[in-house]
Amino acid sequence: MFSLALAGYPVFCFQSSGKASRQITDSLGRKVILKGRADKVLSLQPEITRIVIALGAGERLVGVDYFILKHDHLFPIIFPEGRKLPAVSNTPEDMNFEMVMKLEPDIIFVSPTELQMVDSLQSKVQRPVVALASMGSFDKLLEEIKLVGRMLGREERAAELVNDFLSRIEAVRKSVSSISPGEKPRVYMSFWGSLTRTPVTYEPVDTAGGINCATGILPAYLGTIATVVQLEQIVAWQPDVFLVQGNYPPRERPVTVEDVLLDKRFGSLPAVRNRKVFYTFGYWYWWDPAEVLVETLYLARLFHPEVAAPVGLETEGNEIFKKYYGIEGGFSSLCRVLECGRWDEE
Amino acid sequence: MSIEVRGLSFGYKDFRLSIERLRFESRQVTSIVGRNGAGKSTFLKCLAGVVPLPKSSLFLDGRDLASLRVGERARLISYVPQELTLALNYSVLDFVLMGRAAFISPFSVPSREDLRTAGEALHFVGLEEFEKRDFSQLSSGERRLVLIARTLAQSAEILLLDEPTTFLDPKHEIGVMNLCRKLALDRGKTVIVTLHNPEIAVKYSDAMVFMKKGKVVASGKPDEILNADLLEQVYDIPMTIVPYDGKKIILR
Amino acid sequence: MKNKKAKILTVLLFLLPFLLTLASLSIGRFHIPQKDLGRAIIRAISPSAGPEVSTAYQDILFRIRLPRLLLALMAGAALSVSGASLQALFKNPLVNEYILGISFGAAFGAALSLVFLGKNFPAQITAFVFALGAVLAVLLISGRSESHTVSLLLTGIIVSAFFQALLSLVEFFANPYALQSLFFWLMGSLSLATWKDLSISLPIMAVGVVALIMMRWRLNVLSLSEEEAKAMGVNVRREKLLVILLTSMITAAATAVAGVIGWIGLIVPHLVRMMVGADNRKVIPLSAALGASVLIIADDITRVAATFEIPIGILTSIIGIPFFIILLRRSRKVWL
Repeated sequence: MFSLALAGYPVFCFQSSGKASRQITDSLGRKVILKGRADKVLSLQPEITRIVIALGAGERLVGVDYFILKHDHLFPIIFPEGRKLPAVSNTPEDMNFEMVMKLEPDIIFVSPTELQMVDSLQSKVQRPVVALASMGSFDKLLEEIKLVGRMLGREERAAELVNDFLSRIEAVRKSVSSISPGEKPRVYMSFWGSLTRTPVTYEPVDTAGGINCATGILPAYLGTIATVVQLEQIVAWQPDVFLVQGNYPPRERPVTVEDVLLDKRFGSLPAVRNRKVFYTFGYWYWWDPAEVLVETLYLARLFHPEVAAPVGLETEGNEIFKKYYGIEGGFSSLCRVLECGRWDEE
Repeated sequence: MSIEVRGLSFGYKDFRLSIERLRFESRQVTSIVGRNGAGKSTFLKCLAGVVPLPKSSLFLDGRDLASLRVGERARLISYVPQELTLALNYSVLDFVLMGRAAFISPFSVPSREDLRTAGEALHFVGLEEFEKRDFSQLSSGERRLVLIARTLAQSAEILLLDEPTTFLDPKHEIGVMNLCRKLALDRGKTVIVTLHNPEIAVKYSDAMVFMKKGKVVASGKPDEILNADLLEQVYDIPMTIVPYDGKKIILR
Repeated sequence: MKNKKAKILTVLLFLLPFLLTLASLSIGRFHIPQKDLGRAIIRAISPSAGPEVSTAYQDILFRIRLPRLLLALMAGAALSVSGASLQALFKNPLVNEYILGISFGAAFGAALSLVFLGKNFPAQITAFVFALGAVLAVLLISGRSESHTVSLLLTGIIVSAFFQALLSLVEFFANPYALQSLFFWLMGSLSLATWKDLSISLPIMAVGVVALIMMRWRLNVLSLSEEEAKAMGVNVRREKLLVILLTSMITAAATAVAGVIGWIGLIVPHLVRMMVGADNRKVIPLSAALGASVLIIADDITRVAATFEIPIGILTSIIGIPFFIILLRRSRKVWL
């Protein structure tokens, strides 16, 4: 019996008959049984979709969700053939159960924030439904990679990615370890198109040696890490660095760096006075492992430029994208789409 | 102030009002009688300008009524409709005060003068004690009187009252008609009322107009034109006029 | 004696919004010590008087709190006066300021800007334009119909439904970032109003509210049947149109910067009528004062109750409904 229990998160064990039948506990604590190999994967959770591709199992995808197909700027870069995949909705309101049945998936991944959909999908479609998300935590992200690797029979590849991720993160942690808490910049993030929406926990910032101003605040919506703060709270925090989500091309950005710099209400913020208002990737529907890695490296350079990095950001970025997705110049392509060429000039 | 009708023709889908020549004098109460649907109310509405007036058919002391603007006309002619639809429970004084609308611009409020006129009007109809009462607290007779007070507050020379005695008990009926006479004699107004009770009309009018199917069948002083044939013609049922104690009583 | 007492109460009620505004300057999650508050106000009036106050305090007081409070004051007054006027005009207690399609017209306009048009067409402007567009559509469609009042109301419902459908369509095509911004806008919030937004919408609301208050007696007359009013010398169609345009203008201006804030235009006028009777000479101005006060208090609560923003529409109904129930029990007969 081969079993691996990890702090109550996913549990996996082989049956002695030799035919692999796995029981998994997902992010919602549901126990899901998967029989046999997962050859057809329907992923309605963009983060999982990206992980599946990174594991080299992209061809097993039979369907994805609307967001990643129509609105995600990274997807066409890392998986161009994904354009042809059918899009199944990822909200309960317009779930097309018939289409799901037609695709005959062996496993369906959904986001744990869509609680109603999880149960209705399971009961209507009678196929294994797994709710997984990293919830803004590196540990959970890495566990996810391992879990999906196991379910798709790509354990070795998963281990490779996890080790790579960990070693790079460790390098960053080490480089900022000498910095005392008093010297760490206090960071406020304006995400999701609004000045006042911010994540209560964001590991890239923590890892890169920054302090998230919103730490300790209750999320506005259960099951998420997002909250809405009051404008005067932002002024009260007096952040040293102000990050704006720039995960989409300039024409789509409701909030821009210029907006923040010119906003008279923020005139007293150290971030504005010292012009430390920058874009960062942020996320929508959780992370892309390669992208979040690059983001962490980028933020480390941003917060602590005095701690010299071994290689230029673009070079290292492309290296990471190649490792994960096997493509050349992936990071540069992404930067072109997001028009963030100037980020590297810091 | 007199009103003259010359060739009035007004109609809608199934009905046509057609009056050749008619005259209403001041200091008089003229009643218009006839069956339901004879066109009494419609005629009154034409006079009041509540329905669009055909040109050159109604004249006020020689002036074409159709040429008057809404505000001008209201200062000359006032109109009390048959049905009272009130949505909000105003006080009696506030209700009467509304009659002053023609004298107050849309962006102003009533002046002391307006308040005085309204108070006087209430006094004239005998309801000065009722100023602060809410409209809903009034009986239907009192409501009718308050309505007349509002019309009076409008200070117009010509008063048009559409079926003012409907739903009133005999005492209130007489009260309203006496009021009309008082308005004509004491204040010199031209009072025109529509009535469906010919008896009351005969008793209190100086002049009468009999209508049938949109046309005027007869007009003039009651003594001169009233007879059983006319009544039968207008009401389509046999009627008898019986003299009694110096008055005329109409029997069906 | 009773008259004097009533007069004092009335004066107090009119002063209330301004007193509340002043008091509310010191309310917020960020604590500003009283002496700094005083100093900041002095500095604002005469820039070099008195000791220095930190820029953070000044920014919070005058760039964040004050515009928000003024918006609450003006929008509260505008929405209440609108509701009160339209209730009199349509002779119907169920009418509110959004009845002619303004809320969904504005929502659609905002959606259009947030999803397709981007920064060049700010949501406030498109919301305003489409809100008024909806009303104009209602006026044109119901045009010269026989029972004008009823057809206005029905057309209002239809036009609202139309814009609601269009709104759903826009939502369908929106990318999630825009969709989030839109939902935020739809829930109604005074939080993001800047002085720039207010520089246009406040004067519009002020002009409209004053005009409607001036027309307060006229609304008594307009609440009669069209026949009667006309016979009394009122150009009914024209004045009705004027009232509708004024109420639409101020409601659209309020909605464009604050989103859809429900209940105020419906409940405040009823509360006022229950207290002082049907005469619009009292109802209209008092609705303005009470509406302003209610919205300021509601906003104060949203600002301190939790770390995140509670949509203000929820609070206005929570505050209003208990009062409503209490007054309902001992009110006089207002509607016939």
